[in-house]
Amino acid sequence: MIDPLIYHIPITQLPAYRGRNLVVRSRDPAEIIAGLDGGAGERCLYVQLLGLGAAIDRLACWEVKVPMELVIENPEAELPLLYRYSPLLMDRPIRVAVPLVAGFGKVVRLSVSLDFAVKIEGGQPTLDLIEELLGVASDYLHRSTLTVPIEFIHSLFQSFYRQEPVSLWDIQEENPHQVRYITDQGEEALSKRLARVKPPADPRLFRKDPFAGLLAQGGECRDCQFVNRCGGYFKWPDKEYPCDGIKNLLRMLEQAAAELRRDLALYQAQGKWSSSV
Amino acid sequence: MKSPFSLILLPTLSCNADCEYCFETKTEDRLSLDRLAVVLEKVMAYLEQRQIPTLFIYWQGGEIMTLSPEWFERAHELIQESAQIHGRRVVNYLQSNLLGYSQKWNSILAKMFGNSLGTSMDFPNLHRRTKGGTPQQYQALWERRVMEAKAAGIAIGVIAIPNAATLDWGAEALYEYFVDRLEIKEFQINTPFPGGTANAVKEGYPLETERLTQFLLDLADLWANRGRGAGVRIGPFDKLLAYFEQGSKDVLCIWRENCANELVCIDPRGHIAQCDCWVSSYPEYRFGNLFTPASLSDLLQGSQARQKFHLRPGQLVQTEDCLDCDYLALCHGGCPVRAYSVRGDLLKKDPYCALYQGIFRRMEEIAAKG
Repeated sequence: MIDPLIYHIPITQLPAYRGRNLVVRSRDPAEIIAGLDGGAGERCLYVQLLGLGAAIDRLACWEVKVPMELVIENPEAELPLLYRYSPLLMDRPIRVAVPLVAGFGKVVRLSVSLDFAVKIEGGQPTLDLIEELLGVASDYLHRSTLTVPIEFIHSLFQSFYRQEPVSLWDIQEENPHQVRYITDQGEEALSKRLARVKPPADPRLFRKDPFAGLLAQGGECRDCQFVNRCGGYFKWPDKEYPCDGIKNLLRMLEQAAAELRRDLALYQAQGKWSSSV
Repeated sequence: MKSPFSLILLPTLSCNADCEYCFETKTEDRLSLDRLAVVLEKVMAYLEQRQIPTLFIYWQGGEIMTLSPEWFERAHELIQESAQIHGRRVVNYLQSNLLGYSQKWNSILAKMFGNSLGTSMDFPNLHRRTKGGTPQQYQALWERRVMEAKAAGIAIGVIAIPNAATLDWGAEALYEYFVDRLEIKEFQINTPFPGGTANAVKEGYPLETERLTQFLLDLADLWANRGRGAGVRIGPFDKLLAYFEQGSKDVLCIWRENCANELVCIDPRGHIAQCDCWVSSYPEYRFGNLFTPASLSDLLQGSQARQKFHLRPGQLVQTEDCLDCDYLALCHGGCPVRAYSVRGDLLKKDPYCALYQGIFRRMEEIAAKG
């Protein structure tokens, strides 16, 4: 039986994880190409290029059309380099992963202007970053030139719009039922964000037990209207993190989704539109 | 799927006109067919290496019709041979002032250019002249040629450059001239810039942005109300509307993410530059010469001048206000040659920034109205 887990590995671990579902990372495009050519990347879901500083000419001619994630490490410094990667979009889907640190909003803005999908990473933003996050969400909701998803905002908005459940742990590809993160030293961890959290004996229990603990402790999660979507995601690694700003963000998305649903229903009722989204 | 690569090919820098705002430095150089074969071989090798399936060749001059139709017959054969050998597809476009057009051109226009061509005229025409002639004489001859070509079934697209009198006369007058009087269904408005050798006409560029913006907004409204439903296409409005309505990002070269990714220009001497606006008048910005032993790929990768073009949009998001603009996704700082010729530095944003924002906003509004 094929192992259903997805392993996020450094390319140096490729021989050890061959045949499994992989996300392979390196900061050297030549190393990625050499590692995955000749069928070695058969089960590679996407590659992660760490940092934007490397020479990328060979990527423009790389025949393996596996999707790519550009992992931003220093938003301010790497911002102008994004333009170099734009021509590669003709060959493969490319997503920009940006950490929730100062300057991330600029990277998001330029990335979506270049038609790169975006994933915002990290879970406990400061008040300043919450403001920046609200600005990004506002762009996502209202900017007519924006045509690509910004995760986790996009999937949450869709979930509110469709009134369907979703888990932030899934959106952020950190669900311990599905994903393992292999450190550069070859050690197994729950995710990049939680690489320093000692994993429990059975990682599948990670979410359930601590989350139950959070609820039992009568903490913020207990009465939170968004707990079914969030699942305590923002309470890691610091369980005392105050979620007020995050709740503002989720409320903004929920209200916008409700507004869109209402407008479309009205439009449909007027006979101007007959199909579903 | 890779986008096509575009080659602006100037097989001659000779011209039969003497337009006052021309940005080119004219010479009598012409590209021989032997050298065309070298150009094709090197460009095709570049496409193969980059796995680019399609080449667009924009044939311009100088004035392209100072070459003969027979020259083009042989050029067409060379292109077909080269395309077949290298497994590439080639699409040819022609831009001519039409002064030298006659029925002798019809066969090659049909065979090589899909029975269509692009030409240029301003309204009113103040600056386009035949050598030793007047703008009126030029315009009369051009109109005659347009009618002859249209009678031969050739589809005509026109590029128009506004001047101060265009703004005085207004959008309605320009629209009536092209659409109602000449029955031109496709034209494009380009903004003027003081490229090449300075002269009195170019000292008036850029045109007063506020008035030019209002003119273009009036023309956009006119087109939306009268032309759009009647099959008239006016650039850049038609493609901007398609962008805001359907998300199709097929905009002018001045608004691409980086024109350096998508096109180069080669002149008859083999000089390579970013486009026809640079190649003959700004030698310090040439990327190299194709008739040296180096491959096109090596020339482009080794060019410090080209490096500046590559750096430009990344620089603009740091030094200008582009990152705060609602339309960054559509513009990326605009045209390098307009920035260079007006602001003296290609690492500045386009001087028509406010005008572009005005047009984008208006087309967004028109799209929203449906």
